[in-house]
Amino acid sequence: MTVETIVQSLASGLLMGLLYGLIAVGLALIFGLMDVTNFAHGEFLMIAMYASFFLFTFFAIDPLLSAPLVAAALFVFGAIVYLLIVRFAMRAKANAGMVQIFSTFGLAIVMRGLAQLFFTPDYRSIPQSWLGGKTVSIAGIFLPEPQLVGALVSIAAFVGLYFFIHRTDFGRALEATREDPGAVALVGIDKNRVFAFGWGLGAALVGLAGAIMAVFFYIYPDVGASFALIAYVTVALGGFGSVFGAFAGGIIVGLVEAVTALMLPPSLKSVGIYAVYLLVVFIRPRGLFGSM
Amino acid sequence: MTITRRDVLLGATAAAALLPLAARAQTSEVVIGATYPLSGAGAQVGVDAQRAFETAVDIINNDQDFDLPLAKGVGLPGLGGAKIRMVYADHQGDPQKGRAEAERLITQEKVCAVLGSYQSAVAVTVSQICERYQVPFLSADNSSPSLHRRGLKYYFRASPHDEMFSTAMFDFLDAMKKKKGVKADTLALFHEDTIFGTDSANAQTKLATERGYKIVSDIKYRANSPSLSAEVQQLKAANADVLMPSSYTTDGILLVKTMAELGYKPNAILAQAAGFSEKALYDAVGDKLEGAITRGSFSLDLAAKRPMVGKINDLFKAKSGKDLNDNTSRQFMAMIVIADAINRAKSTDGEKIRDAMAATDIPGEQTIMPWRRVKFDEMGQNNDADPVLLQYIGGKFVTIFPAQAAVAEAVWPMK
Repeated sequence: MTVETIVQSLASGLLMGLLYGLIAVGLALIFGLMDVTNFAHGEFLMIAMYASFFLFTFFAIDPLLSAPLVAAALFVFGAIVYLLIVRFAMRAKANAGMVQIFSTFGLAIVMRGLAQLFFTPDYRSIPQSWLGGKTVSIAGIFLPEPQLVGALVSIAAFVGLYFFIHRTDFGRALEATREDPGAVALVGIDKNRVFAFGWGLGAALVGLAGAIMAVFFYIYPDVGASFALIAYVTVALGGFGSVFGAFAGGIIVGLVEAVTALMLPPSLKSVGIYAVYLLVVFIRPRGLFGSM
Repeated sequence: MTITRRDVLLGATAAAALLPLAARAQTSEVVIGATYPLSGAGAQVGVDAQRAFETAVDIINNDQDFDLPLAKGVGLPGLGGAKIRMVYADHQGDPQKGRAEAERLITQEKVCAVLGSYQSAVAVTVSQICERYQVPFLSADNSSPSLHRRGLKYYFRASPHDEMFSTAMFDFLDAMKKKKGVKADTLALFHEDTIFGTDSANAQTKLATERGYKIVSDIKYRANSPSLSAEVQQLKAANADVLMPSSYTTDGILLVKTMAELGYKPNAILAQAAGFSEKALYDAVGDKLEGAITRGSFSLDLAAKRPMVGKINDLFKAKSGKDLNDNTSRQFMAMIVIADAINRAKSTDGEKIRDAMAATDIPGEQTIMPWRRVKFDEMGQNNDADPVLLQYIGGKFVTIFPAQAAVAEAVWPMK
């Protein structure tokens, strides 16, 4: 094992980890805001990838340009999902937790089924894009441009989100609603508007991730499943309710995955992730940066 | 309307006259089950398989002029012209779902035979259920050698298994070294972690040792991983003369993309088909695969020698929009082989069909494959199914090995 191999693996792991972080942040935001786990998070990612693919195929819009469009579309989609489904699931008198789980889980299955019906189960990919297949090489270390740009976008999106939550009125309303949904109603904040906005924001973030990933990953109706599980672990590892934790968790997962694959047979690389996760849960059940 | 005694009598007579028809109607249909991944990661293969079966069923149920068993005439003459009806079950690539679906096909849908299943891991459980209910199971496209070695009485496979495929690959490497003096001494295996990848790698390891090849990297990876960069990194570091992947489509696409991103380009890729015979993979990354070689059991250039192959390909293409490939051609043939056995059994009884299967003998010319014949040994394996090697050149596959089937010389190294 050469130094080059190790550095390359760490670099690949970091780039992938930043993307995992971006995917997980949306999930953490929604969970932190209203204690609802979106089990259709992977399917949101899938829809975003298809949106990026179709914008490229039919209108020749490069995924790099269409990413903001896709994120905006996912924002609307997320808000609609809240207003049409989650809002009602939260009103359930009995077994509220279960009703929430099954409503978003059901949504995931419906979305997969519809995707297979309308888009067929064929594997798609974007063959020629501005970034696709291009690689920067620094001192023998290869950094694929799509992942590199993805990593930069992830960092920018996270910094943007952080300032949005802590520096704007709406962000403060988001925080306040998170802390006490009952009390904010008294000061005239519409809880439903805040929640719908939170869902929109969470969906937009995963939409951004999907749009970028469409350049270097294959696209098919079940593609979300591979990433959703990692996103759940990432959120749990970083700490429930913590947006920063989710982002840091993503980076840790990416790096742990790369290091495990280097030291153990690669078929065991997810073992490393779950081992670290278990360790964290033993020592600190609320996750690394969890506040609850 | 008033009902008179005459009407009742007439009705009764009509009903009596119809009775034998109704009784016959029960045998005018032969129900065959097929279990495939129709959703999930392998769904594209499963949906294409349905089109392949439909093509074969159309040829059997209608009068067609092909030199295939049952093509001429309508339906199965051995069962009074009975037509075939297919029932599909979705196993999602999951052995446990496959087990449950096979049970449902047999007990609820009353199928008299089961075809399947793309993933070898699923074929293991499905064939066990079929054995228990004494219903024949025909592996259309499973290639793991261990499948037919379990001593099951109701298990059959008309196509080659991975040891036969791998033998052809090593024969080819030997020939290339001897004739053309290419450098192909070190190998890198890259295989997924279910029974398909594992069996394939075992066969390749055994052959490599016997014939003096050195395996410099043997990477078993987790199927459907979100990232393969660590794996490709290790392949690159080992830098073998020949890369030998055993992967399904999703992983194959990601492998080739990641190889390009990390600047890894082997002299030759010699793939164990699966994803590397799927159009989806070449649509996605074909530009990076000029000169890649895959084993196969089918090649469209056979149509030059046997025009029927081209015509059947047209029929399939009208349904699916795709050319027949390694998988769909074997699925098509599986339907013909099982229908032929049911026809000779003159019955939908599992044991009788099994005995007819065991007595199957179809000459190679009456198939769309480059096989010598279809004839099962006592384990249910057809040892006369000769594999071919195909090279991806100029956007399509050409047969390069063995010599008697080849239409072009192999290009080495790949572009």
